[in-house]
Formats: sequence, C-alpha cells, structure tokens
Amino acid sequence: MNALNDSVRHPASFRDPSGFIFYREDILYRQINQVYKQNYDYLMESGLYETLIKNELLISHKAEDIPPFLPDRYYKTIRPKPLSFISYPYEWCFSQLKDAALLTLQIQKLSIEKDMTLKDASAYNIQFQDGAPIFIDTLSFEKLIPDEPWVAYRQFCQHFLAPLALMSYRDMRLGMLLRSNIDGIPLDLASQILPKITHLNLTLQLNIHMHAKSQSKYTDNVNAKDNIKKRISKHAQFAMIDNLESGIRKLKWKPGQTEWGDYYDKTNYSSGALQFKQNCVKSFISKVKPKMVWDFGANMGFFTKIATDNNIPSIAFDIDPVAVEKNYLASAKSKNKLMLPLIFDLLNPSPSIGWHNRERDSLSERGPVDMCMGLALVHHLAISNNIPIRNIAKFFNSTCRWLIIEFIPKTDSQVQRLLMTREDIFDDYTREFFESEFSQYFSIITATEIIESERVIYLMKKKIDSKP
Amino acid sequence: MPLTIILSLVYCLILAPDIYGYIDPGTGSYMLQILIASFVGILFSVKIFWAKLAIFVKSIFSKKDR
Repeated sequence: MNALNDSVRHPASFRDPSGFIFYREDILYRQINQVYKQNYDYLMESGLYETLIKNELLISHKAEDIPPFLPDRYYKTIRPKPLSFISYPYEWCFSQLKDAALLTLQIQKLSIEKDMTLKDASAYNIQFQDGAPIFIDTLSFEKLIPDEPWVAYRQFCQHFLAPLALMSYRDMRLGMLLRSNIDGIPLDLASQILPKITHLNLTLQLNIHMHAKSQSKYTDNVNAKDNIKKRISKHAQFAMIDNLESGIRKLKWKPGQTEWGDYYDKTNYSSGALQFKQNCVKSFISKVKPKMVWDFGANMGFFTKIATDNNIPSIAFDIDPVAVEKNYLASAKSKNKLMLPLIFDLLNPSPSIGWHNRERDSLSERGPVDMCMGLALVHHLAISNNIPIRNIAKFFNSTCRWLIIEFIPKTDSQVQRLLMTREDIFDDYTREFFESEFSQYFSIITATEIIESERVIYLMKKKIDSKP
Repeated sequence: MPLTIILSLVYCLILAPDIYGYIDPGTGSYMLQILIASFVGILFSVKIFWAKLAIFVKSIFSKKDR
C-alpha cells in the first residue's frame, strides 16, 4: 500500500497551525509546518531541547526522512518516542495533577532562561511515562517576545491551579469538573466554589479570585492591552512562576478514610488464601506474558504489582481517589516505574469528549489491551449494580485478549454483606451460570479454586468468533 | 497575611465587578499579569535577598565551626 494512503491524521491534532500528529503504519509521527520552522530550530539550537531531554522533562524525538503528510506546509517530520498509554487529567489523582503542574512550571522557567516560552499550558500536554509526568508537545515552545506576559497563563490557572485548589480546599471529587470542562475549570466558577479563607492565600487570591474578576472587568475592553504602556520584565515573569510554584507546593490533600482504603485488612481472606491467589495471578501472567495489563478495581495495586514486578507496564484503575492517590505515592516512593494508577469508574467510564467527540478518547478507544484483571470485582458489578453477567463478559471481550477474573459465590461473607441491604433477585448468580456466560466470549483456560475460601480464579482467552 | 488583606482591598477598588458581555477572558489574564507584575516582582526580590542572606549567614557559621 502507498505510505501516504496509509497515513491518518490524529483527530485531536488540529488546533495548532505549527504542525500536527499522524499515524503511518501504526507509527506516530509529528509534521512540523514551515510556520513553526524558526521556533523549532531555536528550540533545538538554543540548548533548551537538550536540557529538557537531559532532565527527562520533554518527550524525545528524532527527525525522520519520510514523505511528508502535507507537502505544501511541510518543514520536517519527527518521530516522538512512543508512549505506552494516554491518560487524561480527569483520570489523575491529586498528586498526579500537582506533579504535572509543577513540571509545566519547571519547563516554563527553563524556557524563559533560554528566551523561549510555552504558548500552551494544557494539562493534556502532560502524560505519565515511567512513573513520572513528561511534557509531550514539542511544538508548544516559541521565542519569547521581550516584556510580553505569559500567553498560557490563563490556561495554566484553569487546567492546574483551579482544580488543585478545589480538590485541596473543597473536595477531591471536584477534579472531575475537568471532564466536563475540556479547557480547564472556568476561574469565575472556581472562585465561587472556593471557601472565603482562600482570599487570604496569596497565590489563590492573585491567580484565581483577582484573575476571575479581571476577566469579567476586561470582557468588553479588548483594546485595553493595546493602550497600556507598562510591560512585564523577565524578573516579573520568574516572580509569577515562583508565586504559582510555591502556592501549588503548599496545596495539600490528605487522603482520609475511605470505603476501600483499608480493603486488604477487611477482606475475609486468610493469609494462605491471599498467598494462593497471588501465586495464581503470578503463574497466569508468567504463562501469557502480556505486553500490558489493565487491572480494574485494583485498589492500591496489590495484584497489579505482580505484573509490574514481571516488568509489564500496568494500569491500576480504581474508582476510589484515595486508593489511587496512595498507590501513586507508594509507587513513586518505591520507584515502581511501570505502575500507572488512574481514577476510573467502570459504571461510567471516561467517554470520548471534545470536538466531534474525537479529541479525547474513551477508554475502549484506547484499547484493546493484552490482558485485563478483574479480581473481587464481578460481585460488585452484578449484585451492587445489577449488571448482567453477560454484559460483564461482553465488556471484557471488547477490552482484552486475555483475562484473569475471580468469581465469588453468594455464600461468601463479602457477597452476603452486599445482599444484607438489598433483595436477592440474583438467581443466576452462580458459578455455573458465570462460566456458561463467559464461555460465550472466552475460552476458559484454567479455573482454580482458591484454598481456604469459596472463590474461583480463572484464566480466560478471548474467543475470536464470539457473539457481538 | 496583611498583604493579602491589602490585596483584597485593591481587588475591590481596581477590579470592581463589571457587566458581562462577549467573553474575551484572554484580555483579563493579560491585564492581570501586568497589574500584579511589580507586586510579585518585589516579593520575589525580597525572597531571593533572604535566601542569599541565609546562605551567607550559614557560610559564616560553618567557617566558624571549622
């Protein structure tokens, strides 16, 4: 096939005239347009690129000599180092967003030192790779115009400062506002929701409350900036960044008690059963050797860690922000670079959002993955949320090629706890029915009864000719 | 803390609420940076001064210790 015909422009890459990303034969490239030539050359020659790469702050790339995607605007094609997974700010916990914010400010500081500036400060320009945030947009750098304010300042406040302040001062769940506000949380909204005490916090007073007022003040006065003679020095730019940086560092969110936070202390597993289950997961993973694992309902990544210990990049999805926060901090502390904890509600997964619903992918569009794990999960979906077992099987069928899944029967005390507060309308919730429903979509390779319990753990392989 | 109280007053006087119209939040962000630049610039200078002073004092004591 002709290489040009096999090229697809990424649907989220259309705003910036400097260039765009495209796929050709499943490889991601970035075309740099003529209009960005000066800035790109300056980034590469000023030493800024080298500094950012050396400090692992920016994704590295190499120039590629391949036929251009759009020849009339073409300057260069580069091939960025591939990422193992794309996650979004509304899937991050507090400390992930905070680290991403601090990374953005660090890059802006280094850029100013080299007479460049970030024209974008979008949280979507950050990804988590090897356990740490990294900036992925090589075309966000432009030459600094002396004495001009930071053009991405508002975006930074909306994408980072406002959600962090809301999570810190009000409620962790307010981070989810990023899902409905693709360009960050409007500052007037943040200003209204934040408690009055934040007016006494210098960073929040200046950059959220006064900022929101300023936006409404100059709403109808677009010529104001042309009339003002005063400009902003480099020293003041560093001062602004310093103010944001120290303010963000001080924002804290202390994980409180959660339904799931001490899950492993409250389960009905004996230590023998837990060890047995761990060994089963370990042997299944060693047998399949998946390239990546998605663990749903991972809590603090207790079983996900088995995959990362086997050198497999893995995502620990959990609905509980406390569990995700604890997992992120613990993984960073133990230097587990392969673990990516993310906040994820299986009952209401991240949808496709943005222009044409194609700017940010839903989870299913980011799959399928080699292997999924669903341990101690099915009873929550089937009994607490009335999801038919067939639908659960269908979900995993469209999400993964291999599946490690656990079935916990009604007689188990944990399931009994769920049934205490609801009528038992789940006649089909039996091991036999579970196996027959999953067999429509998966071949059961191994079914192992977990010792000292009534639970069964399965290794399953997706059936290619399964029903839609 | 007193600084933020003064700022709150400035905020009420200079940035009194205005009528909403056709939204151009970019102008407000631009103007705010210019308005607060000198203020944060001075704070930053003081911060740098104190940091340097602390290093200087520390170096004197560490010399004495030797």
